[in-house]
Amino acid sequence: MPFDQGGLQDVCRAVRQRRSPAWAVAAALLAPSAVFLAAFTYWPILSATLRALTEQRFGQAPSWGLGNFTRLFADDRFATAVGNSALYALGTIGPSLLLALAFALALRESGRLNALLRTMLVLPLLIPLVAAAALFTFILLPGGGLLDWHLAKLGIGASNWLGSPDTALGAIIAITIWKNTGYYMLFFLAGLAGIPEEYHEAAKLDGAGPFTRLRRITLPLLGPTLGFVFIIALLNALTQVDHVVTMTRGGPSDSTNMILYYIYQQSEQNMDHGLAAAATVVSVAGLLALAMLALRTLERGIHYES
Amino acid sequence: MKANRAPVRLLVCAAALLWLVPFAWMAVAALRPQVAGALDAASLLPTGPFTLANFAEAWRSGRFPVWYLNSVIVCGGILAIQCVTVSLAGYAFARLRFPGSNWVFTAFLLQLLLPPVVLIVPNLEMITRLGLYDSLGGIMAPYCASAFGVFLMRQTFRSIPRDFEDAAQVDGATRLQAIRHVLLPLAAPGLAAFAIVSVTAHWNEFLWPLMVVSSPRNQVLTVGLASFTASAESGADWGLMAAGTMLVAGPLLLGFLAFQRRFVSSLVFTGLK
Amino acid sequence: MRILRAAAAALGLLAGAAIAPALAATDIDFFFPVPVQGKLANEMQALVERFNKENPDIRVTAVYTGSYDDTNVKTRAAIQAGRPPAASMQSANFVREYVITGDAMPLDDLIRKDGAAPADYMQRFWPALRVNAMEGGRVYGIPFHNSTPLLYINEAAFKEVGLDPAKPPSTWAEWVEAAKKLTRRDGTNTTRWGLMLPATYDYLGWITSGLVMSNGGAYYNEYWGGEVFYNTASTIGAVQFLDDLVHKHKVMPSGVNDANAVTNAFFSGRSAMMVLSTGSLSFVRDNMKLPYRTAFLPFNIAAAVPIGGASLIIPKGNSPERVAAAWKLINWFVSPEIAGHWSRFTGYFAPRIAAYDLPEMKAFMASQPDAKVALDQLAYARSWFATYNTVAVRKALEDQVQAVLNGKIKAPEAMALAQRNADALLKPYVDQGALKLPQ
Repeated sequence: MPFDQGGLQDVCRAVRQRRSPAWAVAAALLAPSAVFLAAFTYWPILSATLRALTEQRFGQAPSWGLGNFTRLFADDRFATAVGNSALYALGTIGPSLLLALAFALALRESGRLNALLRTMLVLPLLIPLVAAAALFTFILLPGGGLLDWHLAKLGIGASNWLGSPDTALGAIIAITIWKNTGYYMLFFLAGLAGIPEEYHEAAKLDGAGPFTRLRRITLPLLGPTLGFVFIIALLNALTQVDHVVTMTRGGPSDSTNMILYYIYQQSEQNMDHGLAAAATVVSVAGLLALAMLALRTLERGIHYES
Repeated sequence: MKANRAPVRLLVCAAALLWLVPFAWMAVAALRPQVAGALDAASLLPTGPFTLANFAEAWRSGRFPVWYLNSVIVCGGILAIQCVTVSLAGYAFARLRFPGSNWVFTAFLLQLLLPPVVLIVPNLEMITRLGLYDSLGGIMAPYCASAFGVFLMRQTFRSIPRDFEDAAQVDGATRLQAIRHVLLPLAAPGLAAFAIVSVTAHWNEFLWPLMVVSSPRNQVLTVGLASFTASAESGADWGLMAAGTMLVAGPLLLGFLAFQRRFVSSLVFTGLK
Repeated sequence: MRILRAAAAALGLLAGAAIAPALAATDIDFFFPVPVQGKLANEMQALVERFNKENPDIRVTAVYTGSYDDTNVKTRAAIQAGRPPAASMQSANFVREYVITGDAMPLDDLIRKDGAAPADYMQRFWPALRVNAMEGGRVYGIPFHNSTPLLYINEAAFKEVGLDPAKPPSTWAEWVEAAKKLTRRDGTNTTRWGLMLPATYDYLGWITSGLVMSNGGAYYNEYWGGEVFYNTASTIGAVQFLDDLVHKHKVMPSGVNDANAVTNAFFSGRSAMMVLSTGSLSFVRDNMKLPYRTAFLPFNIAAAVPIGGASLIIPKGNSPERVAAAWKLINWFVSPEIAGHWSRFTGYFAPRIAAYDLPEMKAFMASQPDAKVALDQLAYARSWFATYNTVAVRKALEDQVQAVLNGKIKAPEAMALAQRNADALLKPYVDQGALKLPQ
């Protein structure tokens, strides 16, 4: 019976079907986006792959081969960059998610003080990373900078935060945590607001303490939000290198070299486009793999909730 | 529970104050008169004479009007084109059933994981080939399609019942008219949220504009600020550097403080949907 | 309507007539770095405006492109994009690489068109500058401003510890001795360092090459861009000297300090001596309130310093009109009057010998003894390190020296590593050059 689902819907479906086929309409509507996607996402991947497979050494004719990849994996600097990126990702994602969650849990209730504190934590989100880098260049200045100056008052000697390979990456990580934690806190706040109060009430009635409730109710229901924020934090960790570009330029001794900065260096400074392309291909593959992994966890979380 | 609150509250207050320190220093240093070799450049105490000289000098030696204008053009331009591309594509995925729609959607989503900055080298080549090197259009081009926006619009459209546009179409409206006059107004909150996220992201973008643009007249705020602070730092002009940074950070900070709730709910809204 | 239309047309004609002469001007862009300090960028803009006024048929847009390294990146990107700047100020040691990659225009024909022989033209500049300006016997870069590393000393601190500031250390032995006396400690805290020097990319390589040359070394092959001498006794000795300053004599702080931190410490008295470019002379003059003086860089085997500074190149790919306009700009920049003015304003010395014959310059040199020191050191100046893939090969050394300064590695091992990395980077060029033999 054609009209047992609801008369209007069926009439409209009939009306729609008399027009152009769905795929033609879809193609027309998707075309604007598709053009840009093709030009600036898919074609670049293809061209980078082609360039990566083209070996062109000084004074020689270009030829096909895996030479760029072999050189890439043999390059100590690339290994260092990958290691630094991994350290940086771990150092920023873990602490900032933990802090963001903690702040969100502590500040989720309404009230003027809470609103003020939340605002203070969120402000860094609004300035460009290069502005943060400028401020922190002074803060981390050895001797006369903000940190050392105040530490001196406590009797602690000056340290060259950005000038020592032991602490430079830590300094970069600290800047990122300062910048992004408030942003992640916002997502957690919304996630927490989405958990019905009844769950907590019921658990309280059952005698569950605050930590039990956190573990059994809050965190599981926050799953999708956690997954989402994790992916954003991961992407940020791998793509935000503004402070490296302006403050440390990969140094000292390559200790703040990251994958994206390595690509920038090879392409712009060393003009080794084959190597830069190979590094691009490898990082795209790695990024996709990592993100797929994270997405799958996110999917699982969503299914759990629904 | 109340007994436990106090120490937690204290900790969070301390953390928030710590978070504010860089901004506090920025404000104090910007207003502090410049004394070469001053030993108290790091002091957070707003003592002594206040001066606006740093702001005047920053305005004079930087090119803030040009940078602001360019950033506005870039962010506005990107947003305008994005609104078109994401609405159309979002509609297609939300309302149309066509073979392979899942694959195509995945292909779109892939871009979420590949922000243009990762593909910076081949994108630069593409821009150059299109003759857009050293132009504002070159900065805008890779961002005009936004997988994030498509995803968001799809979710938003899906949450709107079909009845409205069906009614419009029965009345004789074309699909495009239905989208424009019926769906988009209903999807306004989602679009507004997307707009705020998009503008914030592109206002703060640095590496890509740095690579694309070389003429001073095409510099955006982030690139201009980086060169401004680099030269201020090399002269140890911390007050100047702080003032310049404040000139850049100012608008968004003020905008945030004025439209806090909208801002926050947009950022969150887009994330959760 | 007709009157309006006519008026509009007339206005259009008038506007066109006003714009036309401006349109007829050759528009050129000029990339310049200012490695030292912001006021120099403003002064450069002012100079360019003056040129534009004096030459109404040319309109130069000066583009400040950051540090020497950044300017290199920007210029190459512009060349790649098919939009080369008409003129670009490059670190003097980058000229060789622009020639190797075929991106710089030889200037011999332009010189000849002006009626001079290239060899004679180059006689206008100090001898030490000529090596970096030329490649294969042809002129590619015109020296714009130059520097050598200088030793700046805090006179009060010297007197305080019984040293005579009029007799600054001239050998490494004297240097270490003075630094030890000048270093002041308060328990485990050092309240005043004997010596500080910038150890960031570019600066570190430059100063290290100076120390290597003072240690009798050549550092790099000045005749051909395919060789560097990192793993040699003279280099290892110089790097070991830096290591000792930090870890053995404890007169220098460990870690990488940039020029800001170094000048900050010197101005506030937290460091008694510093090695810095002569390009910072006027900056130091403006900011150092305590009495100070400049001296030659101390040596171990023989006095020798590298030159620093920048040269002006014309990238290939510019139209003849742009090239002609750029050539005019370049020659204006290196005219005795302008070169002298820039030198007095910045502290860089004027590459143009004739600039020092002008009365303003003579008066200035008489009143500024530290500027005279910089000029006198020119007698010992040698060319600046320049190879194929200069920046990467330079960084191969700098990364290791930074690690040495941080106590991560010892000099012999560090230099062996640096040499290995540098050779890997130079290999493509070497394979097409010295190791390319007839079959």
